[in-house]
Amino acid sequence: MWKDIWFLVTRTLRATFRKRSTIILYFGLPIAGILASLLLYGSQGTTELRVGVVNGDEGQTIAADTVRFVQGLDHVKVVNVTQQELHDQLAASDLDSGLIIDSGYSESVRSGSPDHIAIQSVKGAQVTAYMKSMLYGYIDNVAAMGRISGGNDAKFQQLYDRYRSADFKVTSESVNDTSTTKEMSYQSIGFLLMFMMTSAVSLSELILKNRENRTYFRVLSSPINARTYVLANILMNLIVMLAQIVIVLFFMRVVFRIDPGMPVAQMFGILLLFSLVSVSVSLVIVAFSKSTAMAGALSNLVVTPTCLLSGCFFPISIMPDAIRRVSDFLPQNWVLQSIEKLQSGAGFAGVWFNLSILLAFAVVFFLIATYKFGRNNDTRNFV
Amino acid sequence: MNVLDIRGLTKKFGEFVAVDNMSLTVREGEVFGFLGANGAGKSTTINMVSSLLRPSSGEIRILDRDITKQSRFAKLNLGIVPQDLAIYEDMTAYENVSFFAGLYGLRGTQLKERTEEALEFVGLCDKAKSLPKNFSGGMKRRLNIACAIAHKPKLIIMDEPTVGIDPQSRNYILTSVRNLNESGCTIIYTSHYMEEVEEICSRIAIVDHGKIIAEGTKEQLKSTITDVKDIRIEVKSALPAAAGALKAIPGVRTVLQEENMIRIHSDAAVDNLNRILKQLLDDGMEIRSVEEQEPNLETVFLTLTGRNLRD
Repeated sequence: MWKDIWFLVTRTLRATFRKRSTIILYFGLPIAGILASLLLYGSQGTTELRVGVVNGDEGQTIAADTVRFVQGLDHVKVVNVTQQELHDQLAASDLDSGLIIDSGYSESVRSGSPDHIAIQSVKGAQVTAYMKSMLYGYIDNVAAMGRISGGNDAKFQQLYDRYRSADFKVTSESVNDTSTTKEMSYQSIGFLLMFMMTSAVSLSELILKNRENRTYFRVLSSPINARTYVLANILMNLIVMLAQIVIVLFFMRVVFRIDPGMPVAQMFGILLLFSLVSVSVSLVIVAFSKSTAMAGALSNLVVTPTCLLSGCFFPISIMPDAIRRVSDFLPQNWVLQSIEKLQSGAGFAGVWFNLSILLAFAVVFFLIATYKFGRNNDTRNFV
Repeated sequence: MNVLDIRGLTKKFGEFVAVDNMSLTVREGEVFGFLGANGAGKSTTINMVSSLLRPSSGEIRILDRDITKQSRFAKLNLGIVPQDLAIYEDMTAYENVSFFAGLYGLRGTQLKERTEEALEFVGLCDKAKSLPKNFSGGMKRRLNIACAIAHKPKLIIMDEPTVGIDPQSRNYILTSVRNLNESGCTIIYTSHYMEEVEEICSRIAIVDHGKIIAEGTKEQLKSTITDVKDIRIEVKSALPAAAGALKAIPGVRTVLQEENMIRIHSDAAVDNLNRILKQLLDDGMEIRSVEEQEPNLETVFLTLTGRNLRD
C-alpha cells in the first residue's frame, strides 16, 4: 500500500508543481506575508517627540532646569514658543506636545507643592505619557527637597545645588527591544496560518477535481482503493505544508533575520501540528462539497473569516471580548496563543493544553471527514 | 475458459432495482456486445464489475476469482475505457498513460516500455509529449483507450469508445479493438451504433430493466425474430399523430417515427402493408418510398425492448 501511496504522492506533486504559478501560490505568498509583517512593524521605528515650551516663569532657576531636563530626555526635541505659537503649531501637528510653565511654578515646587505647569497635546496620552512620567519624577524630587527644607531657602538651595551637581555615577547598558521582532514573527505566522489553510483546501480539492474529470473513478477501478487514494492526498498535503513551514521559518530567521523570541524548533513543532488541523479542515470542506466551485466558496466562507477572528491579520488584543470568546473555538487562535506564551518565556510545558486542543481539533475534523467520505458513493459520472 | 462470470447479480438503490438477478458469461477471446437503452442497467453492471459499486447480492468472477474476495487480482486483469474521457488535461499523453499504468504496479523500464507500446497501439507516439487539451476529440478517445490497456489486462470493458468522433478516428478505434482481441484480450463492448456492434462483436447480450432479455451470436439473435418484418416508409412530411393510428392496425407491433421516416415492425404472417399505406394516405401524407428490410440487430433490439437504443 505504501508503494502505491508514494507513487500517487510523487506523481501528483510533480504534476501540481510543474507550473511556476503554483510555486508562487504555495511558497511565494507565505514569504510575501513575512514581507508584509516587516513593512507593518518595520515602520514602527523610534520617532522624535517635538515639544514646544512656553516658559512663563523666566529668570527662575528651577523653571530653567526643568526645561533643560526635558531637553535632555532621549528622543525629545524642545522648541521655545509663545502661547499662541504653541496653540497654532499643535493644531497644525507641527508639534506633538506642549509644556506650559506659568509664573509661580518655581515657587510652588520650592514650597513642596508643584503647580502652574501643564502639558498639552492633541494626540493624547500616546505622546504625553513618556514625557509626563519622566518630568513628574524630576519635579517630585525637587518638590521633596522643598518639603524637607521646610521653607528654609538656604537649606533648599544647599540640597538643590548638591542634587544638580550630583556626583553619583550612572551607568547605562543597551538592551535590545525585542517586542517589534516578536510582533513581526507573530504576524508572519498569522499570515502563514492563512496560507497553510488555503493551500490545504486547494490540494484537497484535487479529489473533487479528479472526480469532475472522472480520473478519480479510473484510479478506483485500478488496484488503488479509495482509502489509499485519500491517504496519498493527505500525505502530499502534509509534505507541502512541511515545505511551507520550513521555507517561511528559513526566510524569517535567515533571510530577514527576524528573531521570533522563541526557539525555532518549538515554532516548527506547533506549525506542524497546525498542518494536521489544516488538512483535516480541508478534508471536511471537500467531503461536504459536490464540486470544486462549492469547495472554493466554502473555503472562502471558512478560512478568511476564521483567520480574521483568530488574530492572523492583527493582534486579537484589540478585538472586543465577544470576538475573543468566539476565537476560542478557532484552531488558529490556539496556535497564536501558544506562540505568544512561548515568546513571553513560558516553556513548552506551559502550552501543552493549547497543543492538546489543536490535536483535538485535528482528530474531530478527520473523523467528520472520514464519516462523510464513507457515505459518498457517487460513481454516476464514470461509466 | 470464462473471463467474466456474473451470477444472480442484483443492485438496488432504495426501492429501485437497477440490476435484477442478472447472470452473464463472457468467454475468453470474445468481443462481447452489451446493449441496452439508457437506464437499462448496463452502466450499473459495469460499475459493479469494475468494483466501483458494491452489489446488493450476487457474484462476479473475473478469471474464475471472486472480485470481492480477490479484488486486487480482478482489478489487475481488468481495463476500463469509460464513456466520458477520464484523462488529465494538464499532463502530457505519455504522463497520462504512465500514471495510470503505474497504478497497476508497473515501474521503471517495464513502465516505460508499456507506456510507449500503448501509445503506439493507439497511434499517439508522435504526440507523446503533447497535452491532451490540444488534441482533437478522436485523439482524446484514443488516449482514453491507451490509459486502459498499458497494463495489458485480460478483460477490457469499452463503454461507447467511439461516441462523438470523426469517421477516421472511429475506424482507427474499431481496428484497434480487433487488434486487441487478436492479441488475446477479451472485450466487452457497448455502443449506441448498432452497425459497430454487428461489425465487431462475436456475441451480444441485450439488457432491459436490469435483466438480460436476449443473449447469443448476431445470427442467433436475428433468428429469434423471423416472425417480424421491418417496413420503412419515407413520407414527404410525417404528422406527429401518425403512429397512434398505425399501431391500431392488426399485426403492427411497434411504430417509430424519425423525421420523415416511419419504421414499422409488424407480424410477418399478417399481410397489412396495404392497410398501413392507406392509413397514411388517409392521414394526408404523401408517400415517397416503401421498403421492407431483413431484420438486423436494431430490429431485434426494437422488437425485444420496444425502444430505440438511443432512447
